[in-house]
Amino acid sequence: MRVLLVEDDVDLSRQLKGALSDAGYAVDHAADGEEAHYLGDTEPYDVIVLDLGLPKIDGVSVLERWRREGRTTPVLILTARGAWSDKVSGFDAGADDYLTKPFHTEELLARLRALLRRSAGHAAATLTCGALRLDPRAARASVDGEPLRLTSLEYRLLHYMMMHQGRVISRTELVEHLYDQDFDRDSNTIEVFVGRLRKKIGSDRIETVRGLGYRLAPLAGEEAA
Amino acid sequence: MSEAQAAAEPRKGVARNWLGWFRRPGRSLTRRLVWLAAIWMLLALVLTGWGLTSLFRESALRRLGVTLNETIDQAVLAATATPEGVTVGPILDQRTLNIYSGKYWAVAEPAPNDRLRTLARSRSLWDTDLTAPADLPPLLARAGGETISYNAVGPAGEPLRVAASMKQLPGREAPVVFLAGIDRSAVDADTRQFATVTWVALLILGAVLVAAVLVQVQIGLRPLYGLRNEIAAVRKGRKARIERDYPVEIQPLAEQVNRLLDHNQEVVERQRTHVGNLAHALKTPISVMLAEAGTTEGPLPEMVRRQTKVMQGQVDHHLRRARAAARAAHGLGERTPVAEVIDELAVMLERVFERRNVEIDWRAPDELGFLGERQDLQEILGNLIENACIWCKRRVRVSAGPSGLGQMIAVVEDDGPGLPEDQRETVLKRGARLDESAPGSGLGLSIVDELVRAYGGRLTLGQSDLGGLKATLELPAAER
Repeated sequence: MRVLLVEDDVDLSRQLKGALSDAGYAVDHAADGEEAHYLGDTEPYDVIVLDLGLPKIDGVSVLERWRREGRTTPVLILTARGAWSDKVSGFDAGADDYLTKPFHTEELLARLRALLRRSAGHAAATLTCGALRLDPRAARASVDGEPLRLTSLEYRLLHYMMMHQGRVISRTELVEHLYDQDFDRDSNTIEVFVGRLRKKIGSDRIETVRGLGYRLAPLAGEEAA
Repeated sequence: MSEAQAAAEPRKGVARNWLGWFRRPGRSLTRRLVWLAAIWMLLALVLTGWGLTSLFRESALRRLGVTLNETIDQAVLAATATPEGVTVGPILDQRTLNIYSGKYWAVAEPAPNDRLRTLARSRSLWDTDLTAPADLPPLLARAGGETISYNAVGPAGEPLRVAASMKQLPGREAPVVFLAGIDRSAVDADTRQFATVTWVALLILGAVLVAAVLVQVQIGLRPLYGLRNEIAAVRKGRKARIERDYPVEIQPLAEQVNRLLDHNQEVVERQRTHVGNLAHALKTPISVMLAEAGTTEGPLPEMVRRQTKVMQGQVDHHLRRARAAARAAHGLGERTPVAEVIDELAVMLERVFERRNVEIDWRAPDELGFLGERQDLQEILGNLIENACIWCKRRVRVSAGPSGLGQMIAVVEDDGPGLPEDQRETVLKRGARLDESAPGSGLGLSIVDELVRAYGGRLTLGQSDLGGLKATLELPAAER
């Protein structure tokens, strides 16, 4: 497993490098944003540990560039500020996990293992509905290649609708598949989630069939799956 | 208290209010302007009314005077001096012939003790005299032939206008006084009517003018009300700045308010950046020391580990306080959409806790806004939801909604083990960590508590019906 460690502090870099090597990783190290971007862009790493406060180019910008250029390598960000706004902007830029300094080395190793396990899943049969794509293995969905940011309940609803696209699905059926237990089965739950899903995937993709339920279909002009 | 006193009490209150309104016009611009205008208008109208009625009265009396002079002239022409006194030939004026007709003449001579003795009179007087003020003869003597007019009461009790003039008759050495009188009641009635009409008209004019002044003041001060509303909107978070154009008199005020808002924002930003930099600068070395000391055993590494942890706690605490201080000046003009922030955090934290299949079920109305900075709401909810994710078995529930005017409530619950009642207080204290082995940097609840307090809100912990901890937040909400 190859890992790219991006950290500008000399001592912390030395420690992390040692710990990662001991855990069996092949470690490359970059101390500034420019070098990090170059390495991440040219070498096929399995996972990247990225500090956000970097000289030359900051971590979030480096991450944004990689994602723009189509690099999907899982990235764990390290942040010293601990502010949630930094974490959120890191995720918006495409991060997969975060750790706040100071942290235990074991915690970092555990997170990296989880990231690698998650990305190891080979591309399974993806579901498509027009420009909408859903990868059940990685539990990720996208529209026109743009990743969607869905909560697990929204994802589950979309998954079910994509498996039954073109068919009218009743609210009762949807709510039964949304929750595995009898929680929160009030009548407008489905409306709330359909409303949110529409906002994220485009409101025309889910059609309301009065008195019956909802139907997911490709947009006019898009090819049916 | 007697009944009469009780009844009088509210009226006294009303009177005092009214007096207060009158006495302290300086407290309201509208009052000040309206009162000043009303006072000078009252003066002007009273002067006008008084002037108009006197003028009318004067001219009516002058017309009567002309008639009286004619009568005197006729009497003078018809008068002849005789040794016994004065005889007056016939005067062809029907009204002076009819008894008590309201038009009279008389000829008199000054008697001793300044009185008049009548020598001849019109038939209309019958046997009465035209009354005269006691000091008339000397006055007439001094007037030297000029006519003197005065008011008197006639033989039938009617109001009279009387003119008197001292003349010299041929063949008589002593001067005689010619008097003529005429009923004044028609003139009096006209004058009264004119006065009534004038005062009523002026009263209406006054009322219309006061109303006009009120309207003018309202229109004139409208930009001020507009500015006040805009500032209120900024304070309540519906607007970020003063945007409208105002008249030149108050535009500088609006600009100063905007400058103050910018300055506030700048101070908060600067403070936050500073705190962030300090955190970054301190936390990396602490990380290094902790890790380095963890690799070997012995008394020295043990001591370093212990002391570094104390340092870390101190740094966390003081950074939090510095952040809270930076926020003390906040609260102006920020409206943060709650649903958006929860969604971001939910998506992100589900991904972070993906290996445990954590499911965050959140509900919040789209239009709900938090009155404060986005970063702070992220901090508050981020810590609470992360904490719930750490402790839950699988389920985390987040719900937010408005509660009363300018208030909102947010609840974060999980299905984990929860907290016994006696420990709920302690976790809110600074630096408290109940379980050192739990992932993440402590419960983070004290950070949340400090932030929520800085916004004048409240954080309470309780038992969720999911089984775990239930954190309830009361926060200021932004109006739409």
